[in-house]
Amino acid sequence: MSLERATGVARPPRALKLAEWQLALPLALAFASIFLAPLLMLVGVSFFNDDKISQPGFGQWAKFLGDPFNYKVIADTMLLGLKTVCATIVIGYPLALIYLDASPRLQKVLTFIIVMPLLLSVVVRTFAWIVVLGREGVVNTLLLQLGIISEPLRLLQTELGLVISLTQIEMPLMLLPLISVMSRLDPNLRDASSALGASRWRTLFTVIVPLSMPGLVAGCLLVFASSTTAFISQTVIGGVRLIYLPLLIWQQSLVVFNWPFAAVVSLTLLVSVLTVVSALSYIGRRSGGYVHG
Amino acid sequence: MQNTLTSKAARALDVEDLSVRYGTSTAVDGVTLAIEPGEVVALLGPSGCGKTTLLRVIAGFVRQAAGRVRVDGSVIDHLPSNQRNIGIVFQNYALFPHMTVAENVAYGLRARGNRGPEVQARVSRFLDTVQLGAFHQRLPRQLSGGQQQRVALARALAIEPSILLLDEPFAALDRNLRLDMQIEIKRLQRTLGLTTILVTHDQDEAMSVADRIAVMNKGKVEQFDTPVAIYDRPQTLFVNGFIGTTNLMNGKISSLRNGTATVALDAGASLDLPAPDGVGLGAPVLMSVRPEQLALSAAPGPDTWKIEPGLALPIGAQLVHEARTVDGTFLKIIEPRRTFMTGAPRAYCTLAADARPTLFPRPT
Amino acid sequence: MISRRHLLAGATALGGASLLPSIAHAKGSVAAAIYPGTWEEAFRAIVAPALKKKDSVDLELQPLFAVDQVAKAKAARGAPPFDAFVLDPGPRITAIQDGLFDKIDVKKIPNASKLPAGLVDEWGIGVNAQVVGIAYNPKKVPAPKGWKDLFSDPWVSRLGITGFQTTFGTVSLIEIAKVFGGSETNVEPALAELKKVLPKIAAVGQPAAMPGLFQQGQCDVIYTNTQTVATLKGRGVDIEFVKPETGAITFLTTLHIAKGAAEVENAYKYLDLVAGKEVQEALTKPPYNFIPVNKDVPVPSYLPMKSLDEMSTYVRHDWAKINPLRAGWIEKFNKEMAK
Repeated sequence: MSLERATGVARPPRALKLAEWQLALPLALAFASIFLAPLLMLVGVSFFNDDKISQPGFGQWAKFLGDPFNYKVIADTMLLGLKTVCATIVIGYPLALIYLDASPRLQKVLTFIIVMPLLLSVVVRTFAWIVVLGREGVVNTLLLQLGIISEPLRLLQTELGLVISLTQIEMPLMLLPLISVMSRLDPNLRDASSALGASRWRTLFTVIVPLSMPGLVAGCLLVFASSTTAFISQTVIGGVRLIYLPLLIWQQSLVVFNWPFAAVVSLTLLVSVLTVVSALSYIGRRSGGYVHG
Repeated sequence: MQNTLTSKAARALDVEDLSVRYGTSTAVDGVTLAIEPGEVVALLGPSGCGKTTLLRVIAGFVRQAAGRVRVDGSVIDHLPSNQRNIGIVFQNYALFPHMTVAENVAYGLRARGNRGPEVQARVSRFLDTVQLGAFHQRLPRQLSGGQQQRVALARALAIEPSILLLDEPFAALDRNLRLDMQIEIKRLQRTLGLTTILVTHDQDEAMSVADRIAVMNKGKVEQFDTPVAIYDRPQTLFVNGFIGTTNLMNGKISSLRNGTATVALDAGASLDLPAPDGVGLGAPVLMSVRPEQLALSAAPGPDTWKIEPGLALPIGAQLVHEARTVDGTFLKIIEPRRTFMTGAPRAYCTLAADARPTLFPRPT
Repeated sequence: MISRRHLLAGATALGGASLLPSIAHAKGSVAAAIYPGTWEEAFRAIVAPALKKKDSVDLELQPLFAVDQVAKAKAARGAPPFDAFVLDPGPRITAIQDGLFDKIDVKKIPNASKLPAGLVDEWGIGVNAQVVGIAYNPKKVPAPKGWKDLFSDPWVSRLGITGFQTTFGTVSLIEIAKVFGGSETNVEPALAELKKVLPKIAAVGQPAAMPGLFQQGQCDVIYTNTQTVATLKGRGVDIEFVKPETGAITFLTTLHIAKGAAEVENAYKYLDLVAGKEVQEALTKPPYNFIPVNKDVPVPSYLPMKSLDEMSTYVRHDWAKINPLRAGWIEKFNKEMAK
């Protein structure tokens, strides 16, 4: 009943509808030219057999998809994203809870600390991690001096080291949406849960986590998309023995000039990331849709 | 039906010399309240008077700086809020938005480890009690404000709390609904025999629902008494001013004997009234008198004073007069409306037959 | 009818290249591509003021790696975003094959006569030589004698390598291959040997990351050029250069005039100035540490040769043969080295 009424009200007069459509036209054109056109060109380029872009064909796709090595690269790239997402959740979620309980003054300090990584260039952050994780870096020196290890640990050029650095580098992308959603939660909900006899953990998992789902999902999407495409961090901290799709794209487009093949790899990265991101947001909608209702 | 809802014996609640400080400011200042089992007590006061803070201390959300809270004689200060078994209904209801009505009501039961059909049965019973049985699968946002409040009430009652706390429970409801809910809460409270504390800034609400009212101001309880006593015998100027409408007139004590004081009003009359504590001969006093305890008169007399009549507004069955005394005080006088008026102008004011004005020492 | 290819190329050019030329070509100026980093710093500090002073020409530097220069020039299709290239041998061959250069008129470059034979040809002039060999940390490991040493202890566990993405990486791997029986066109032996010792190797990195990894002690032996060694040394890093027993490698960095360049005359002035004694001498000084090519400039003492002529004995490579194989090598390196 209310639905009928709602749709009846929502339907504007015809003239108004046309005007609104026209207002959106410049934006639509801008999107088409700076977003859609290059994407279509990328698709077009991928269907050429040679690096001079003269012979159309499916050769590059066949070459890419026919090589099992590339499937491993795709899987590794997606796994890297998922591991980074997990690590940012495990560290970021408690941080967000601490932030919410902090005094306003401490919140200001925390905001600065959270946002600071975004103010530094990714190159600086990445090279700082070399200093931290290196053979003679901060971590190894400390562990050696404490006598915890006798040989330096290999942290650089390992997936572990890469996930550690990406976790720090991508953390703001997790924390900012999470905190913005969590700070809009009614503080009485926690008190209500407690007064009804729930422990802190029960309150966390039955009230706070479900209600912060939209922020958590948004954070996961951003961290995943950003970490799977973090070419500089991947190559500088991970080294080139850890091969992810961005490295392949760089090699093919800028070292060997095989643009069609680079286009194939780029589209593969795009589709893989979109697939995982859609899955994540589907899960998020299922568990968190009520908030937007 | 009646039996299943009646909880065990109602509990007494004692608040002893309780203080709460936020930094350097004192929100609650040495409050002591002895609440009888099964009693409904309203904490009444202007915003910022400490009434909500006091409620949150009892619920266990805020720690006091000093003092104790006892339930049936046992101190509960060391218990976290989730072990106090105190039901609370928040001003904004604080229903869990992602859970259905039934899940909200079942929340406290599940948190206590109850499972299965027993929970279902209790949820249905309490939803029926608040007349929301048909709505158990709705989400809170699909309900009206009054319905949401009934869910919050059912949720708080389902855990069979020893004490029920209500934080401004009617503030968000419209006028008609408010009366319905007041009646409903009173009915439930009677049925369950539940000791209940209600925080409100609305004196009518406190008057109609509470057995006793604690009027609070600046962290302190000014008076803790029955509604009638508070209205008729306010013990402080603050209570006098906060409850109902009153007229304040300046005067001096001209004689004192056997507990009766003769007050010489600046407006020009001498009245014999019960003497207040701690005022001597010649002390400046304020006389508080309700508008309905004043009357107009056409002729002068020893206990009348001259006035300059102003507007007269008919309100319902009453007529409200405005008048000014010779010393410049504005008075409100309420009389029953009559269908005819005497012709002579009534330029004098006096106390009505059953008037019980109160004297307060005049603050300097 | 416009072919698909034209459409694609034209649209690609929109992506950035075509936005630049109108800004770059102010009157009395020349736009030159330059490698980011040391090259850009050096040319901003030395070449730009010198060109302004001598010829009243403004030098507008566009920091671009060799591959980016070629990519942009290709995409621009005859309207290059800059007037002069700076390139290593591999991209130079690609650019020649793609017809991106104008042939030069040596008469317009008086300083060309000061350059050793072989540094000037119809396509451009050499303005800098790179000498590639082995660098090590003398405080951590003894001096290795040659490429073969890198595959045994104590060096192998401290070794940091890069792939075929850079010129110096490619030529080093070719020299390693030669030691193990390979050749300029067969790097398989190098990859096979690397694979054997792979678990021991300290770092397999992106070329740009190698100096940082060395400085942080992540690896203590790398193949690199003399310029990197001198720069790190200048920062107080313990590093020494070794000329491998099979010979140091050398290759030239060359300047070229772009086909369709808007400021051809100014580009000639720029080329001549860079080849001249003053600029060459200034570029040899720290922190730039370039290897000079002008015969009038004394060779800095830290270099492994006494005179420029000695460099003619160093190992050189034929990039016309290497270029077609390189894509395959890069792919192979990925697969062999991947974890």
